[in-house]
Amino acid sequence: MITLNYIASFFLIVLGLYCIVMKYNLVKTVIGLSIMDYGVNLLIITIGYNPGGTAPIFTAGELQAASYFVDPIPQALTLTSIVIGACVTAMSLSLVMKLKEMYGTLDTREIRRLRG
Amino acid sequence: MNFLNPQHFPIFAIMLYFLGAFLIVLFGKNRAARNCIAFLATGLALTLMILLVKPIMIDGGIIAYWMGSRVPAGGYAIGIALEVDALGLFFGLLIATAVFVSCLYSFSYMSEDDNEPQYYTLFLMLCGGVMGLVLSGDLFNMFIMVEILTFAAVALTAFRNRVTGALEAAFKYLVVGCIGSTCILAGTIILYQQAHTLNLAQLATIIPLCKGTNVSIAFALLFIGFCTKAFIVPFHPLAADAHGAAPAPVSVLISGVLTKSGIYGIIRLAYFLFQTMNLGTMQFWLVFLGSVSMFVCVTMALAQHDFKRLLAFHSISQIGYVLTAIGLATALGASAGLYHAMNHTLFKGLLFLTAGAVLHETGTTDLGKLGGLSKKMPHTTVLFLIGAASISGIPPFNGFASKWLIYQAAYEKAAETGNIGFAFVTIVALVTSTLTLASFVKVTQSVFFGQLPKECENAKEVSFGMRFAMGILAVLCTVTGLFPNLVQTYLTGPAAKTLFHVTRYINAMLGEGYAESAMGASAPEAATRTIEIVGVWNPVNWLALLMIALLAICIVAIASKYDAVRENKSEKVEAKYSLFYGGEDTVFSQVGGGDLFWGFKHNWRHYFSFMHDLHSGIVNDYSLWAVIALALAMVYALIVL
Repeated sequence: MITLNYIASFFLIVLGLYCIVMKYNLVKTVIGLSIMDYGVNLLIITIGYNPGGTAPIFTAGELQAASYFVDPIPQALTLTSIVIGACVTAMSLSLVMKLKEMYGTLDTREIRRLRG
Repeated sequence: MNFLNPQHFPIFAIMLYFLGAFLIVLFGKNRAARNCIAFLATGLALTLMILLVKPIMIDGGIIAYWMGSRVPAGGYAIGIALEVDALGLFFGLLIATAVFVSCLYSFSYMSEDDNEPQYYTLFLMLCGGVMGLVLSGDLFNMFIMVEILTFAAVALTAFRNRVTGALEAAFKYLVVGCIGSTCILAGTIILYQQAHTLNLAQLATIIPLCKGTNVSIAFALLFIGFCTKAFIVPFHPLAADAHGAAPAPVSVLISGVLTKSGIYGIIRLAYFLFQTMNLGTMQFWLVFLGSVSMFVCVTMALAQHDFKRLLAFHSISQIGYVLTAIGLATALGASAGLYHAMNHTLFKGLLFLTAGAVLHETGTTDLGKLGGLSKKMPHTTVLFLIGAASISGIPPFNGFASKWLIYQAAYEKAAETGNIGFAFVTIVALVTSTLTLASFVKVTQSVFFGQLPKECENAKEVSFGMRFAMGILAVLCTVTGLFPNLVQTYLTGPAAKTLFHVTRYINAMLGEGYAESAMGASAPEAATRTIEIVGVWNPVNWLALLMIALLAICIVAIASKYDAVRENKSEKVEAKYSLFYGGEDTVFSQVGGGDLFWGFKHNWRHYFSFMHDLHSGIVNDYSLWAVIALALAMVYALIVL
């Protein structure tokens, strides 16, 4: 079960990288970035997962040595990472919009005035 | 709470930048308020960093600051920490200085742009991000700061979005930068899975003990992530694009500050977290990467026709020197590398600011369209020559001192290990330095000397504010070159020492004796490495020698000029009557910058055209390089670590 999660997360990361490297459309590049980000998020959540653990919400009195819960730190990290992923998408899409206005195309092979 | 306690200074320095960014959003409509906030934020942060020199650099203390006073409980770090040792403070000082000068320059340089408030907000965000990165004691916080600085840098690259290529450069930088950041995040989380902590000091006690597949992969991911921030070789085209398109003060930040954050990350990773620098192969690969960066980028720079793009390639070439010296893993090498990192910030900042001044006055950075500006902008010319002399390693400026130390460190390493490869590195470094000088002769000839084209006749000297900012950097370039012993004693020496005292770093954070008890016999010994310089050199002697040489050249030039004038006259008289000659006057013909090294370029034409085709400008290619680099790093880490 948990192994499947790891496989899925690495599949997503590799799929994202494939999309960035092989696709010549700017929007697809942005999608690739997002997929890669989701893959990493899934990886983080999976690492913090303890089978059978409860949600890590306790008041000071309830917490005992025997309490068994999933690791809360990766969940906090995932939230941060999701926010950053949204920022990446927003920013890259706004750049794509401006690029389309300026170059009149979305093909990466034609957006190469800076080279050499 | 006593606010004047040095314990609080690091967090204040970081907060000042972010607070400034926030306040400019609120009150930035008014120019005076905006400039005042930006000046205060950068100036106060610089003051705080300078005040920290006494307790950290001279007294050798380490500041461990737990946010919200959440000190470690039961030997586990639960809070978020800032930890400032001599290494962090060294980079903090560099950053604060570069940021302050760049901010002073921006006041007049950016005054004609619209959206100025947004510019200063992003500017201060970038500064805060880098400052947070180098002062942080927490791996996840480092990732957050990396993201903040990447975003701010991308937005600032695209700031003048009507400039050719600005948007394009920003998009490429965003894509490859994001691959790098994602690598850092994935590496961080794999380390967390191994050690269940994100605190740098605690990771440094746990990670070196548990070797395995996961740790190797985490190392490869983090290493490649920080390489993208330092623009080491497979990532250098992004630096060239971004520097060329960004406004000059931002180029200073990207070149002087952002690449330093990458170098800082690599040092923390290799020396502290994984403690892999005692491996021979690790040293070899770092030195190899550094040497390749130096050589490839300097040859790329020779083929450039754009002033700022050329400077950008030189910038990465110099970062190659830093990486090479750090990869040697000797005390002299580390201190030489840090010295060169400091000099790189100073002279590269100066050169980019002079390029900005030229752009400000003439509206172009194309080397073919510029010329003869020394008549119109004499002060800028002198400042540029100081920068060019520094980067080419001409005494008495700072580039000479640090390059000399790097050559010496590489040679000593070769003598120590008996590996002839390290001596070869010295030769590569020397050749690179020569090519750098050649390339700057070309720039000087085609921008500041020669004939003044018609389009540039309206150029005049830039405003006092801009010249003042450049002057600060020029003075610093000269001072750090003239007194290398003082720099060694108070700045680079203590910073280099921390690299070999990892135990002190851990104990300062988690309590005395923690590292010894947690790591047992494998605790890294507090190596008693001392910096010994074999060849003694004295900049004053070299200066005297240079002066004599210059004097000799001047005498020869003046003497031959009299001859030339006389010959010219006689030739003119004779020309009319000579055979096969139409009788017209001799015409002055400009030697263009591009023609200076024609023969060299012609002999190397296959190499140059190959490199030109390789840097295709397609973002897919650059991401493919990143993926290949990542794959190679993983293979290496799995085999060796």
